Amino acid sequence: MAELVQRRIVYTAEDLRAKVAAMGRQISADYAGKDLVVIGVLKGSLYFFADLTRAIDIPIGIDVIAIGTIPNTTSKTGIVRITKDLDLDITGKHVLVIEDIIRTGLTTAYLVQNLEARRPASIKVCSLLVNPGQQLINVPIAYLGYEISDTWLIGYGMDVHEQGRSLPYIAELERNGSLKAPDGR
Amino acid sequence: MGSLGDEIAEALSRKLDWELINRNQLIARFFAKSANVREQHLLNESAKFFLTQSQGNGTYLDVLERSLFELAQNQSAILVGFGSQIIFEDDSNSLHIRIIAPEKVRILRIRKQFHISESEAVKVLDTADRRHKRFVSTVFGINLEDSSLYHLTLNTASLSVDECVAAILALQQEHAERLKIEMESEQGPSIDHQSDLPVFKNPSEAEFAKILDMYQIDWKYEPKTFPVEWDAEGNVTLAFSPDFYLTKFDTYLELTTMNQKYVTEKNKKMKKVRELYPGTNVKIVYKKDFYSLIERFNINTD
Repeated sequence: MAELVQRRIVYTAEDLRAKVAAMGRQISADYAGKDLVVIGVLKGSLYFFADLTRAIDIPIGIDVIAIGTIPNTTSKTGIVRITKDLDLDITGKHVLVIEDIIRTGLTTAYLVQNLEARRPASIKVCSLLVNPGQQLINVPIAYLGYEISDTWLIGYGMDVHEQGRSLPYIAELERNGSLKAPDGR
Repeated sequence: MGSLGDEIAEALSRKLDWELINRNQLIARFFAKSANVREQHLLNESAKFFLTQSQGNGTYLDVLERSLFELAQNQSAILVGFGSQIIFEDDSNSLHIRIIAPEKVRILRIRKQFHISESEAVKVLDTADRRHKRFVSTVFGINLEDSSLYHLTLNTASLSVDECVAAILALQQEHAERLKIEMESEQGPSIDHQSDLPVFKNPSEAEFAKILDMYQIDWKYEPKTFPVEWDAEGNVTLAFSPDFYLTKFDTYLELTTMNQKYVTEKNKKMKKVRELYPGTNVKIVYKKDFYSLIERFNINTD
């Protein structure tokens, strides 16, 4: 496994708290009086989802979904499948999908198509980060935290080989090195 | 009757939220103003009366055709049971579907529906079929059973209403996408030359198609060419044919797995497409992103 070295902290815990609070206020205003279900995409959105749903001050339903690649007996490529499905019925409800980061948009597109088939009243996407330069598919991103360039990030739910997810901030990585924070944390 | 055609039409109407117009509604829908009560009665009873002169321009059939074309200009609709496959024979926006079932299946369904004996069901079916065939053959002079009149024929002997609706919706969606690309090509100088059987020019394209399939994202391979430069005589000197079109997301994608020289050229073409064809969404899949996806899904690149 490659060792990871943090080059710099891109967004501090304080930055993230302020951003999430602002996004929560906006979502609360936009969906006031509506039947909203907020869906977190595991595992990357875990902390963002937890903080954001608590920053939304209107009644909401919350649920989580996970997508993975499973082997296909007839193909070498495998197939993309929902590995943890929703428990809530979203038919006729307004749906907000929470992503940690959108790069190509393929996963989000798959998810949006899948959820659309369940006939929600509306479906929008909220992502903490997006890399517009890498995005291939225009998914309906209604709420966006930060635009990023092509960097390797960990923390606040994002990982590299399952390392770094639980960091309270988002850091940019060097390609080689140890998982040691700039401040010695 | 008994072949589930009406049930399928009603289910489609609900799914698509399109108006359903059948033979019984025809007179009230299109002749309420142009024909008096007596004429409406004759139109209802006699197919031949459609061929007589109306109060306005042409025959009642002409009135019907004009009304239907006008309707089609303004809305989508499901037309059942009065020969609209002939009226819209040359209309590429229309899909003509025939719903059939073996006679014994139809008789059984009619028996169950009306709680009647087999002999009564045979009579009901015979009367309904003869009335429908007579109407179409008298008014349009064609045989309903001519298979070339239909894009799709579904036998409901062992298909449910839902299965038939799903098949028709899939065809309708695919057809609408094809028409959209054709229309864009007619309106601008771009050329529609999509193929239903893609022959990829290089293995990278085949691999990328696999990735899109994994995500269940519908695509078409090189469906369109965008001319981007012309000489003084108007001949195309430079054109761009993006590798993939993602139909649901209205996005063209071009792969670049070659060296930097080609990437620069493709970027230049992409920029020109954006300038010359405003609203066209075209993106480049760069080499590093492509290989990152390949690596992620462990696709065999042999």
